Amino acid sequence: MISERTRRNLRRELQRSLLAKIGIVVVVFMLAMAIFAPFISPYSPGQQNLENARQPPIGFSTKETKEVTKMENGSVVIENGQVVTEEQTVYTNATFAHPLGTDGNGRDILSRIIYGARTSILVGLFGTSLAALIGVLVGLSAGFYRGRVDDVLMRGADIMLAFPSLVLAIALVGVWGQAQAPIPDPFVVSGIAPAFRSAVGLPTGMPETVVLPGTVIVVVALVNWVWFARVSRGEALSIREEEYVKAARALGASDGRTVLRHVLPNAITPILVLATIQVAAIILLESALSFLGFSGADVSWGFDIALGRQYQSTAWWISTMPGLAIVVTVIGLNLVGDWLRDALDPGIEGEGGV
Amino acid sequence: MSLSRFLIKRSLQGLFVIWGVITVVFGLRFISPGDPANVLLPPDVDPEVRAQVIAELGLNEPLYVQYWDFVSGIPVGDLGLSLVTRTPVASRVVTKLPATLELAIAATIVAVIIAIPLGVVSATRRHQPADYSATVFSLVGISTPNFWLGVMLILVLAVQLNLFPTSQRPIGIDGIVLLLVGGNLSAAFDGFTTWLWHITLPAITLGTYFTALITRLTRSGMLDQLGQTYVRASRAKGLPETLVRYKHALRNTLIPVITVIGLQLGTLIGGAVITEAVFAWPGLGTLIINSINARDWPVLQGSLIVVAVGFVLVNILVDALYAYVNPQVAYD
Repeated sequence: MISERTRRNLRRELQRSLLAKIGIVVVVFMLAMAIFAPFISPYSPGQQNLENARQPPIGFSTKETKEVTKMENGSVVIENGQVVTEEQTVYTNATFAHPLGTDGNGRDILSRIIYGARTSILVGLFGTSLAALIGVLVGLSAGFYRGRVDDVLMRGADIMLAFPSLVLAIALVGVWGQAQAPIPDPFVVSGIAPAFRSAVGLPTGMPETVVLPGTVIVVVALVNWVWFARVSRGEALSIREEEYVKAARALGASDGRTVLRHVLPNAITPILVLATIQVAAIILLESALSFLGFSGADVSWGFDIALGRQYQSTAWWISTMPGLAIVVTVIGLNLVGDWLRDALDPGIEGEGGV
Repeated sequence: MSLSRFLIKRSLQGLFVIWGVITVVFGLRFISPGDPANVLLPPDVDPEVRAQVIAELGLNEPLYVQYWDFVSGIPVGDLGLSLVTRTPVASRVVTKLPATLELAIAATIVAVIIAIPLGVVSATRRHQPADYSATVFSLVGISTPNFWLGVMLILVLAVQLNLFPTSQRPIGIDGIVLLLVGGNLSAAFDGFTTWLWHITLPAITLGTYFTALITRLTRSGMLDQLGQTYVRASRAKGLPETLVRYKHALRNTLIPVITVIGLQLGTLIGGAVITEAVFAWPGLGTLIINSINARDWPVLQGSLIVVAVGFVLVNILVDALYAYVNPQVAYD
């Protein structure tokens, strides 16, 4: 489906642009992190260790004053029938065991970021695919048939666009609740990851399932399909006038065949560019839903940012680190999107096109 | 097609979309599991009482009656009663509206003031350090989740440095106007400084994405305009460069930028919802989130309708402005 010319343009643009290279490296890195999480994650993302709570990341230490029971010669001091307390300054240093520190329950932040990448990327990829499926179907039909079909479908799209995507997403998740599907993690269930971990001396006991946030995927797709519909409609409108489409129809190809074999392949470039940018937009949307506590995910970058808020005066890193992960991922995806757009120049309008 | 015909057509389309919005919002209740009566009643309630409540809410009426009640109330500002407080939804939405509008407008002002000069500088000094900084800023700006930015601003500027309050809105523009009308000038001034102090961080939080977006748009639009023949012609006839840039090129750049600002209003309102959650800002977003948590459908439906209808109206306005400035649009 990708022509030699397209491939050459992509390669040329990649050689020219440093930003495109950075984007690809970031995206590949994040994907690898998500896929190989059970191999590389230092701990299980849910493993708590309350004695190690709020340990700072490497390069930082914290000073905290605590009220502790006063002890003398190994016994509690009692004056006037009351247990005497004193202020004690506690210094906590970073350790290499937790490079990015630990959260309020002593869970390792690096492990949570590695596993959080799975949630973000699953929602990003599945949500975008579903949105593209709906949107491309609607858009191609509208553009191919024009007339009344076009009017009905695109007015429907206008109605969807009238709702701010985050507001609609919150409302739908709120209405539908949080259906989640645990899918078994092939690396853990097959025993490859545990064997690898015990061989290199990492703690075992990684989660056996990956939670697929079903409602969130459906909702982000329902909210974002409109952009795909607009782009593919525009493409279909111009492609249907091409000679080869007319030829295919004259030869008696059915509408379905004409659209799938002739219109879609020629409209695929702008759809792919839009999809890249939509993965970024959907990752942002998922993190916002998780931040508000609506997604039901308990290992998610957005959710961890919200969890860290109660420690904002004592442990800044709990909210900071997952946010950096989001920013880096989204920058990477936007750079890849820019690269595809500059190389293929499809001139996309709408949210993804700026 | 003349301008007035274009406007009439656009308004009719808008009316249709508003009707669609209302219908979709009405339908929301029917795709949700659970009965609205369960919100009001304990689960072990007497079936007779339950039937009575359902009758009072009109939930046993045929669907078309319920739909007609819902739709016919809206033009006269009747959005029903809250299930939880039994007060009119419309008045609750209206009391929350100023806080959200204020935040959205403040964010837009922040964005426009920073972004347009930044975009112009970036375009006129292409491939210079200023351009690279602006490009990096806008890339980071569109990639940063605004709720996280808000949390970071609170962390650094409010908690650590204690320069700004972490949350709340002790006074709004409506309160300040009341003080002004009452002739209490010093109190109004104090109110204004308090307001400014509290809205700064939320406005930056909400405005950063737009600043980045408008910077990008202004830069690319300006570059596009500066490459046009009329720019070369004006330079050739000896117009000063500032006049060429700011009177001609910038003006033509701003037209599409304004359209995009209008189109992005939905994102702005969506952003306001989450910004309000971060800063405990008592606006429409907080109302929406609370109504979902309380399963208070009428309040959620009312807020959604107000937000969506507002969005449609603003877009018609932007289209009208656009068609007025650039009459070609009306003929397409």
